[in-house]
Amino acid sequence: MRPLDLTEKDPSKKVTIYFEGKPYEAYEGEKIAVALLANGIYWLTTSTEGRKRGAFYFGPLPIVINGIKNMDGRKVPVRANMRIERQNYGEFQEEVKIDEKKPVLRYVVDVAIIGAGPAGLGALLEVQEHLTVALIEEKSWLGGDLWLKRVKQKGFDDEPQEVIKAMRDRFNQNVRVFLKTAAIGIFDEGEYFLIPAIRRNQLIEILSKRVVLATGAVDNILLFENNDMPSVFRRAFALEVMNIWGVAPGRKVAVVGSKPEEITAELERWGIDYVIVPNPKRVEGRESVERLIDMNGNVHDVDAVIVADGRRPDINPVTQAGGKLRFRRGYYMPILDMNHRIRDGIYAAGSAVSIKPHYANYLEGKLVGSHILKEFGFETEPCIYEEKLREYEPETVPLHRIEYDSMNLEDVQICGCDVSLKKVYDVVESGITDLQIIKRLTHLAMGFCQGRFCLFNGALLVSQRTGIDMTRIDLPVARPPIKNVRMKVVARRD
Amino acid sequence: MADILIIGGGIIGVTLAHELVRRGEDVTLLEKRFIGSGSTFRCGTGIRQQFNDEANVQLMKRSVELWKKYSEEYGFSFQQTGYLFLLYDDDEVTEFKKNIAIQNKFGVPTRLITPEEAKEIVPLLDISEVVAASWNPTDGKADPFHSTAAFALHAKEMGAKFYERTEVKDIIIKNGEIKGVKTNRGVFKTGIVVNATNAWAKLINAMAEVPVRIPIEPYKHQAVITQPIKAGSINPMVISFKYGHAYLTQTAHGGVVGGVGYEEGPIYDLNPSYAFLKEVSYYFTKIIPALGELLILRTWAGYYAETPDGNAAIGRINEIDEFYIAAGFSGHGFMMAPAVAEMMADLIIKGRTALPAWWFDPYRFERGEFRTTAIQMG
Repeated sequence: MRPLDLTEKDPSKKVTIYFEGKPYEAYEGEKIAVALLANGIYWLTTSTEGRKRGAFYFGPLPIVINGIKNMDGRKVPVRANMRIERQNYGEFQEEVKIDEKKPVLRYVVDVAIIGAGPAGLGALLEVQEHLTVALIEEKSWLGGDLWLKRVKQKGFDDEPQEVIKAMRDRFNQNVRVFLKTAAIGIFDEGEYFLIPAIRRNQLIEILSKRVVLATGAVDNILLFENNDMPSVFRRAFALEVMNIWGVAPGRKVAVVGSKPEEITAELERWGIDYVIVPNPKRVEGRESVERLIDMNGNVHDVDAVIVADGRRPDINPVTQAGGKLRFRRGYYMPILDMNHRIRDGIYAAGSAVSIKPHYANYLEGKLVGSHILKEFGFETEPCIYEEKLREYEPETVPLHRIEYDSMNLEDVQICGCDVSLKKVYDVVESGITDLQIIKRLTHLAMGFCQGRFCLFNGALLVSQRTGIDMTRIDLPVARPPIKNVRMKVVARRD
Repeated sequence: MADILIIGGGIIGVTLAHELVRRGEDVTLLEKRFIGSGSTFRCGTGIRQQFNDEANVQLMKRSVELWKKYSEEYGFSFQQTGYLFLLYDDDEVTEFKKNIAIQNKFGVPTRLITPEEAKEIVPLLDISEVVAASWNPTDGKADPFHSTAAFALHAKEMGAKFYERTEVKDIIIKNGEIKGVKTNRGVFKTGIVVNATNAWAKLINAMAEVPVRIPIEPYKHQAVITQPIKAGSINPMVISFKYGHAYLTQTAHGGVVGGVGYEEGPIYDLNPSYAFLKEVSYYFTKIIPALGELLILRTWAGYYAETPDGNAAIGRINEIDEFYIAAGFSGHGFMMAPAVAEMMADLIIKGRTALPAWWFDPYRFERGEFRTTAIQMG
């Protein structure tokens, strides 16, 4: 087994890949970043300003594969004899052969569900008997965040993966599933909605009469010095490498953030040595984390850090689709009408709406499914689900104070695109307190993630430094494409 | 009480406030959202002198001098990286030769270059269909965010009063004299109003009951930005009329920004469309194939405030004491702003200007006197 393997892999898939010229053991179909992690390699790419970056916190992951620059190291699967090299963010392929243009794939359905977590699956199971459905999921698995867990979740009778498999078995012939497919926007097209989506380099256009945004939540980004260092993990990535790929995030990890319980049980299941550090100040190391120093000056010798600081709804699909937001329970969430819609025809469910247990998200999916059936003239009683859902009070996420005075703000990355906390802090201190202008002067929320991971901390900083309430901050609206897409993929066909 | 009240906090209003306060005037500026939020922060960043008439060439020559001066003084990014018009047939070449003659007459050093020379300037270009290019190395681009913020900051430091999130609801006029403007934050008393609201100019004109026909209509134009790539990959603004009336360049931050001539309107709507995403991707990859592999981060929309001849309406409305307009910019407002500010300040303070204000006479539409249509991209 490789240094960080937790499980034996299928020997028939075993291949050799080369990273920076050296051979490593890998398995066909594995994610490149995972194969390299298993071999103990964390530093995979370099930011514009020269910061070493890994695959599992934030920022893009451009790498060179077989001589081709600017490939996505998070998406491309391992193939035998692949040669992989590091690159700088700004490097790109100058010699391009515009490949033969693939035809666009077009589908027409009654309901398009974006996101195959418990909410999306709940909506699907509710409507599939009467309506045709396209289920669009960016990841390669069904079940969303629930699929990443092995510990039994409240409300479900079985272990997470068993629960999801059972749901999958119930899909009928009205359902079309699009895995590894990213919806890039929701557009009005008369009586339909048009949802362009990308699977590898294939453009897919889905026309639907109704849309369900089951687009989930994003992990919070915690601010500490060198928080972008390779081997710092977001909770979801740590779960994925352990539970999907059978690879450990490190030999001894530190868990930081306000919700360590969201990861510690899983670490214990795998027997991974961990320490909970509630107040990280700084991580240090040459190519990846070697030690973590807390606010009290204690030094923890760890080789990885997992940030488990709760989640907040991903508001980008909501605002792009024309929804409005409000601030409640410590996060921005969509404003819904009586029928659980952000506007006519577009429903929202799950952790895209509020942070609550997986089972409640599933019920909320069933609820919007029921509303949709009613709109199509079927006899349903959404109030049954509404009633059940009331048993689950959504979580309140505490707003932590950013420790401006105890940290070297230049070393703290608020955004994966080389935006330091200092850059944003200085603009606010200069008297500019409008997040809309701060964004444009610092490039916060204007890079690869389009604010998904960085905008909230920007709003928090403005609020804490100026006293402007979070409810009164003018948040930018997400613009299409809501997921990065290569220009050649969406170019009009002749 | 404000001596001069400017409505609109885009680059035109902000540079005008800056110029007036610099000359010792008492200025107040009202902006319904935040500085730059209308069209300025949505612009394509380009600043060019390559126009097809004398007035615009003269105005832009002055504007470039001012961009240079203020970028040095205030420390924002203005780079004279040139404008490169790619030409694909003899008709285009003939037309651009005429333009070059006009530009040269005023000392703008534009020249016709070969496709190979164009490729030396932008090695990523596909020149297989290009027959020549019109090249002026003194054109350039500026950062709309930092420049607008700098003009606003310095105007405020000199005593101009800026009110953001302040929307004008009506203009109070008695016996042909302006008394003030009504806003969501109360009445601002003033005797002089400047309508610098561009895409919204017809609304302010209606509030002032301007008795002259000044056709300015909002058209939705969109833009795109890609992932940042290494600095210096695409220095100038590259223009191709053949491929979608496209303009594209690289920002100081590294992304490739630009747009094509895909227009909707008249309309007040800023939602980016899927059709634009497909169009811009198609045309851009024709001009520079390497763009095909770049990730698109975002598209957005802004307004071109179109007039029948593509030239703005700048000047005094004589029937109202005192009402001025500087609006109707269709993709030219950002680049022209410093010179327009100088021209407007002259008109307000002295009643005359050495810059060619006559060309932009707001009464010309009423008289049925149209100008040569100004070169427009996107």
